[in-house]
Amino acid sequence: MAIKKTTIVGQSFPRVESNAKVMGAAQYVDDMQFGPNLLHGRLKRSTVPHAMIKRIDVSKARALPGVRVVVTGQDYPGLTGLYLSDRPTFAVDRVRWVGEPVAGVAADTPELAERACELIEVEYEELPGVFDPEFGASGAAPLLHPDLMDYAAVPFIFRQPGTNISNWFKVRKGDMEAGWAEAAHIYEHTYRVPHVQHVPLETHVAVAQVDGNGKITLWSASQSPFAQRNLIAKSLNISHSKLRVITPYIGGGFGAKAGVSMEGACVVMALNAKGRPVKLAMSRAEEFHTTFVRQGLVAKIKMGMTADGRITAMQNTYYWDGGAYTEYGVNITRAAGYSSTGPYFVPNVHADSLCVYTNHPVGGAMRGFGMPEIHWAIEQHIDRMATQLHLDPVQVRLLNCLKEGQETVTGMIMHPTGLSQCIAKAAEALDWETPSKPSGTGKRRGKGIAAMWKAPAMPPNPGSSSTIRFNEDGTCLVNIGGVDMGQGALTIAAQLAAEGLGIPIEDVRVNTVDTDYSPYEWQTVASRLTWSMGNAILRAADEAKTQIIQMVAEVWGEDPQDLDIIDGNVVSYATEESVPLKNIVVYGMQKPDGTWAGGPVVGKGRFMPTYVTPLDAETGQGPRAVVHFTTGAQAVEVEIDEETGEVQVLKLVSAYDVGKAINPDMVRTQMEGGAVQGLSTALLESIILRNGQPMNPSFTDYRIATAVDAPVEMVNIIVEVPQDDGPYGARGIGEHAMVPTAPAIANAVRAAVGVEIDSMPITSEKVWKGMKGQE
Amino acid sequence: MQPFDYIKPQTLEEASALLLQHNGQARPFAGCTDLLIRIERGFVHPQVVVDVKDLPGVHDLLVVRNGDLRIGAAVTMNQVALNPTVQSGWPLLAEGCGSVASYQLRNRATVGGNLCNASPAADSAPALICYGASVHIFGPDGPRTLPLEAFFLGPGRTALQAGELLTAITVPFVRGSAGHFLKLGRTTIGDISLMNVAVLGWPDSDVPSGSSWRIALGSVAPTVIRAPEAERLLSQDTSPAGLEAASQAAAAAARPIDDIRATAAYRSDMVRVLTRRGVERVLEEIGG
Repeated sequence: MAIKKTTIVGQSFPRVESNAKVMGAAQYVDDMQFGPNLLHGRLKRSTVPHAMIKRIDVSKARALPGVRVVVTGQDYPGLTGLYLSDRPTFAVDRVRWVGEPVAGVAADTPELAERACELIEVEYEELPGVFDPEFGASGAAPLLHPDLMDYAAVPFIFRQPGTNISNWFKVRKGDMEAGWAEAAHIYEHTYRVPHVQHVPLETHVAVAQVDGNGKITLWSASQSPFAQRNLIAKSLNISHSKLRVITPYIGGGFGAKAGVSMEGACVVMALNAKGRPVKLAMSRAEEFHTTFVRQGLVAKIKMGMTADGRITAMQNTYYWDGGAYTEYGVNITRAAGYSSTGPYFVPNVHADSLCVYTNHPVGGAMRGFGMPEIHWAIEQHIDRMATQLHLDPVQVRLLNCLKEGQETVTGMIMHPTGLSQCIAKAAEALDWETPSKPSGTGKRRGKGIAAMWKAPAMPPNPGSSSTIRFNEDGTCLVNIGGVDMGQGALTIAAQLAAEGLGIPIEDVRVNTVDTDYSPYEWQTVASRLTWSMGNAILRAADEAKTQIIQMVAEVWGEDPQDLDIIDGNVVSYATEESVPLKNIVVYGMQKPDGTWAGGPVVGKGRFMPTYVTPLDAETGQGPRAVVHFTTGAQAVEVEIDEETGEVQVLKLVSAYDVGKAINPDMVRTQMEGGAVQGLSTALLESIILRNGQPMNPSFTDYRIATAVDAPVEMVNIIVEVPQDDGPYGARGIGEHAMVPTAPAIANAVRAAVGVEIDSMPITSEKVWKGMKGQE
Repeated sequence: MQPFDYIKPQTLEEASALLLQHNGQARPFAGCTDLLIRIERGFVHPQVVVDVKDLPGVHDLLVVRNGDLRIGAAVTMNQVALNPTVQSGWPLLAEGCGSVASYQLRNRATVGGNLCNASPAADSAPALICYGASVHIFGPDGPRTLPLEAFFLGPGRTALQAGELLTAITVPFVRGSAGHFLKLGRTTIGDISLMNVAVLGWPDSDVPSGSSWRIALGSVAPTVIRAPEAERLLSQDTSPAGLEAASQAAAAAARPIDDIRATAAYRSDMVRVLTRRGVERVLEEIGG
């Protein structure tokens, strides 16, 4: 398709829902009113990391007046999971992490529900736990899921019988011996990433109700209304048509609200509530460790380089701390495997990415989906080797970074990419060659850079669909199944529909999701909506536009090729006639003979990638591992206090190849937000777990960056090398923005004071300790 | 959260009687920024909470006849930190109160509550100790006054007896003094102190160095503590060598622990660094 000049795509329209949000009028699940019949749900949770449940006694809870529902794992023993069905709604005979639900209670008031939970007696027989993934992968570890091989699973994960390894992605490529032999320098090191949490403003919240016909409605703050419908329906063995999921505005997700976490429990309670709605809302403390967390990682990197900085071989082992259930985490492991080299051409690769069960919180999707974690290791490793070889880190990256036509780690041919441009532009904007002067004595400055790549991590065939319906006045409704969680999906949908239809953006309304009325969307994850859902919207717009033009052509007796829709009017290039869309898009048009043409205009579009291929289980090789990679780089300058070790990020430059910026301001704000979240994980964030117990499940001791901790100066550079199957060439940017931040900061810290930080976060104390060690 | 009764007494006698009557089961509060969270998390289980905000004098923030500053028990952190009189006469106190938590919380949180919680990390306490503050207590036997340093007994423990409540704080004016509060947090604002140092110095021709000093350290011992040896050394010598010796003496006075926020070793060394920085800044202001 030839790309014609756009008028709406590429313009920075304000967000379509921003007025409602700014004025506090936007409705979130917690704002919805369900009347006096509403029951308040609460979950009784495991207090121990690993134990057999000897006994659960709910009789005292049931006897408490005002308590309407008490359910346990015995009532609903079904398993669920996005890629691997290993997770019960309530623990059945065994608990595997501190916080695992063992029972659910719904009562007339939140206080009664809480009291009822206290009255439930659970007797545990504690078992030895697994608190380290490397240990968990070893033969010495206790087995956490003896039934692992019996669980239902997608075909592209590889479980290891008799172990805690729920997925083992292997890459065996090239000739390792030759790769090491060619290297002038080989360096091996281990890096660690702690668990972190997404901390969206809005914690998880759901309301479920069963109507008189047995139909269940779930109002859910979710990134995945359709996936929730699918997983919950399957786990309860009910028809998809019996479950309806409604998702209004949601207050951030960052991956925490992908898939299903606590929503199944809400539905199960509603099934027992005799038609009363049941609300389940997570407290902030629960949010920290009971829904999803970002998995921990132990990464072992061995890399060979020639004297001039060319990478000859990489041997990488990733031990993922998947937590108690790895239903989602197995695919993070897979993504880390097919991206295991980082964005570089490496001819010889031996990579193992292992998803390991532990007695830690359940790992799930989080912005970057494994990429911030592995890049923490890879991007520091490359930098250290460059320094060891007295080479410039920017030049080493430019030399090795993937270019169009080169083979990726899995044997896929790299599509056109602006990675080299991103690296060069980020370095240039930071004035890479020129050191800057510290602000005073006792301060030292350093610059660091990191590159990245990330593909949408998903099954090979995640679908999108959209419908466009016109109103009498020429405005239209765009229906989508994707969720706007703050990233701007509604606005992108409106812009693409308006551009595709030829109408002003003000004439487009985009609906939030109701699975009974919205068309299917797999999930709002993987930075895939602009690309995948965007394609579906453009096709729907094209179909609607075709209906309109054919009708007008028929009435006017013209060739449809001569007609177009511009600014809400059908115009003829041949006759210069024009007619507004008003009226004709619903009532049709009267022909000269008095009869009618057309009818209510309804366009539909769908998109699903059909070209992704399986990868070989033993080598990880295959022609097309993924749909595409978004690439980019960040460069940062830091100033370190020599005495306290405090790190201040002075300037942060982001440069990403987004293919085409549909809304440049929104692209830049994604870059900025991602960079600040990346900075926050780099310097501050860690869920401290001691024998499985979370030590800091509150903002008192789980600190996140605020506006004053953000870089003093931020520069956001948009690079546009079009994606062949992207809408107007667009690729996603939502997650990528935080992938290279932490290693870029670590590299800058090392450049400033020579301290190497292997383990995130880069606390002041670690930098201080590193500097003490140099004395 | 466990239910409790809320009572708002109108007189000191009534408040004291309530606390006595529910001995151990009643908790006084002002801003409730700490108590409510502790109840919600199940750390404390009071049957009664006693709101002190209607008691006479608890909202006073004024300079009394002898020049001392009087802070009623329910005066908020922001009322102190943003008060021009406090900022000019007791700048160290303004800095300490201004660094507590976040702006929104400082609209609720009170200096009196901060002291009664007796956290070693209380940001208002080191400044008050440097100024030689006293606390006014009302109890079954009437009013009494204690030096603030004698008020803290340990983490969460104060000298308050059964039926007693804190009513006000008196902060003497230290003529010619300058002071600074230095705090190490994980984030730029809003964090609890990993450790902190308050330094107050003033010209004094009776001592060899020409200046006298008070130094208080937070979050490095079971209570906020003074660093008397560091103070003594500074009164002898404020040369760079003297300063270094005093800073090391301050670090030696600290008895920190390892916890999830920081290690003892880091905290001790930061006492040295922040003490030196604080003294340097004060010296610039008072000359010396």
